[in-house]
Amino acid sequence: MSDHAEVIEQRPATGTHGDGARSTDADDSGLTTRPVTAPLPAWERHLPRIYLVTLAIVIVLLAFVPQRVSPYNLTLILTVLLTISLSTSWNIISGFAGYTSFGHAGFFGIGSYVGALLLFNEVMPWILAMIVAGLSTALVALIIGYPALRLRGPYFAITMLGLSEIARIVTTAWESVTRGGIGVYLPILRDSTPNYYAMLIVTVIAVVVSYFVGSSRFGLVLRSIRDDEVAAQSMGLDTTRAKLAAFTLSSFFPGIAGAIYARHVGFIDPVTVFAVIWSIRAITTAILGGQGTFLGPIIGAIVLTLVSETVWSSNPFLYQVIFGGLIVGVVLFLPGGLMELMQRFGWLPRSRRL
Amino acid sequence: MTILQVIVSGLLLGGVYAVFAAGLNLIFGVMRVINLGHGELMMLGAYITFWLFTAFGLNPLLTIPLSLAIMFVFGVLLQASVVERVIGKPLLSSLLLTFGLSTLFQGVALNLWTANYRSVPYLTGSISVFGLDLSQTRLVAFAIALVVTGGTYLLLRATRFGKAIRATSQQAQMAQVCGIDVRRVRFASFGLGSAMAAVSGSLIAMIFTINPEMGRTFISRAFAIIVLGGLGSFGGAFFGALTLGVAETLAAYYADTQLAEGVAYAVLVLVLLIRPSGFFGADE
Repeated sequence: MSDHAEVIEQRPATGTHGDGARSTDADDSGLTTRPVTAPLPAWERHLPRIYLVTLAIVIVLLAFVPQRVSPYNLTLILTVLLTISLSTSWNIISGFAGYTSFGHAGFFGIGSYVGALLLFNEVMPWILAMIVAGLSTALVALIIGYPALRLRGPYFAITMLGLSEIARIVTTAWESVTRGGIGVYLPILRDSTPNYYAMLIVTVIAVVVSYFVGSSRFGLVLRSIRDDEVAAQSMGLDTTRAKLAAFTLSSFFPGIAGAIYARHVGFIDPVTVFAVIWSIRAITTAILGGQGTFLGPIIGAIVLTLVSETVWSSNPFLYQVIFGGLIVGVVLFLPGGLMELMQRFGWLPRSRRL
Repeated sequence: MTILQVIVSGLLLGGVYAVFAAGLNLIFGVMRVINLGHGELMMLGAYITFWLFTAFGLNPLLTIPLSLAIMFVFGVLLQASVVERVIGKPLLSSLLLTFGLSTLFQGVALNLWTANYRSVPYLTGSISVFGLDLSQTRLVAFAIALVVTGGTYLLLRATRFGKAIRATSQQAQMAQVCGIDVRRVRFASFGLGSAMAAVSGSLIAMIFTINPEMGRTFISRAFAIIVLGGLGSFGGAFFGALTLGVAETLAAYYADTQLAEGVAYAVLVLVLLIRPSGFFGADE
């Protein structure tokens, strides 16, 4: 975990950038072979502005996509957006705070079901239904998070695995409300453009939230929980509240994305929306890009979704082999993901804003 | 009489669970790795039995030693090539790693054998014991499970190598200082754990239908068993397994099979939430 310590310590107290004085001092002492605090390049300070401009350009480009591309490609981009929102939100609790969740499929499934059932029973306009779906998963997270987050990392991970399965079993058994294993059929939509825009908005919000979590004091609290929870507690940090907040945020976006997904595909049943593959997808993309960074999950989601949809989408079983292999490979050889690779080559600084 | 029959039937099933959970416990004890791929090792064992039975017409009982031997070697190789690299790293990296392995094995199995449910029809009748109609397969499976668990227990208690394993799980560094080849102990433990998972898989193949995704439900069962029975102790795991077997069979009898599957998860989550110190006990 020594790498994470570097991330927290990266900012020189003086706030100066680009001078090599500190690293020279370290070399003189003869004790450290590598400077703990590499000076940040000048452009690091402008990252927020760079992000803002990039985001604006991307949004404008993506806004015109539905009029220009085929329905197949529209669904492909929608899948990319869905994966970004899943991996980015997984990263908030699991990457930043180190509480690995194997149960995000549960949030996705609950969100899908709440959204689909609200649409099916025609309770409210669809946009409102999507938001209610997100809020309900956040509420679920708040309720289960309070006891579950008291568990230390590994036990939390196993509990989440169980909770997600319980959600699936309850959904299947509660036939009077959820229609059980038959699933829910929604009216077929002629135009999937509204779904696309909804997913775009959700993803943008998820990304922006993830940035502010990552670069703020709150993000530092989460990182300190990941590195040493007891130490964080003894420094007077309210770790319980921070974890709960991160967990709730982390569950909101999968819920709302699940509801949009349900509206988009028009049919859901417990087996498909509670499938572990949703958790696998979030985890693999996030750790491939680099867990605990802001950009990592986004990069991982884009790369992996585009590659997987074009190369092996025809064989869902092969998909699982490659995702499993990727998790193993990343854990063994590249624990920090692509972001760490780029940092190792010196292409990217060790900045909290990345 | 029926209720007694259901309970005994659950106890017999619990014996098979015990072999599986004890293997998981052994691996965790020696190397502090929670093996999320344990269910897939079991699945591979089940498919070895299925494959030898359908392809070569081998008696399912004879496939068990083969399944044990193959998966022992497989476990040792897996430990040497992959798992060894995360020893001493934070628990979460081994969790992610074994989760990746489980996904990988499941994918490979889906490609090799498709998602279809398979079965190994063997000893399908039932036999009357003290007025209870019991499935012959379950009786045989229970007996084999007892032999394997008992054998492992003896190995751990009565042999020098078993002593080395126990020493390593108590304090790996100290064991090393005392001249125990800790690496070899880890290889053997992972092999042994895999072999136990494989045996339980072979037995399950005779009792239920199998498919490549079966591991997911069994890994949760194993966690629930360890939650119930407490850490490390063989007896505890055995007791937990029997309890879960009975609880599941009762739930399946009085409610439905869907709910029976939920029993393990419910036990797991409830106990963890009530006793957040964790179920593998004092691992620190």
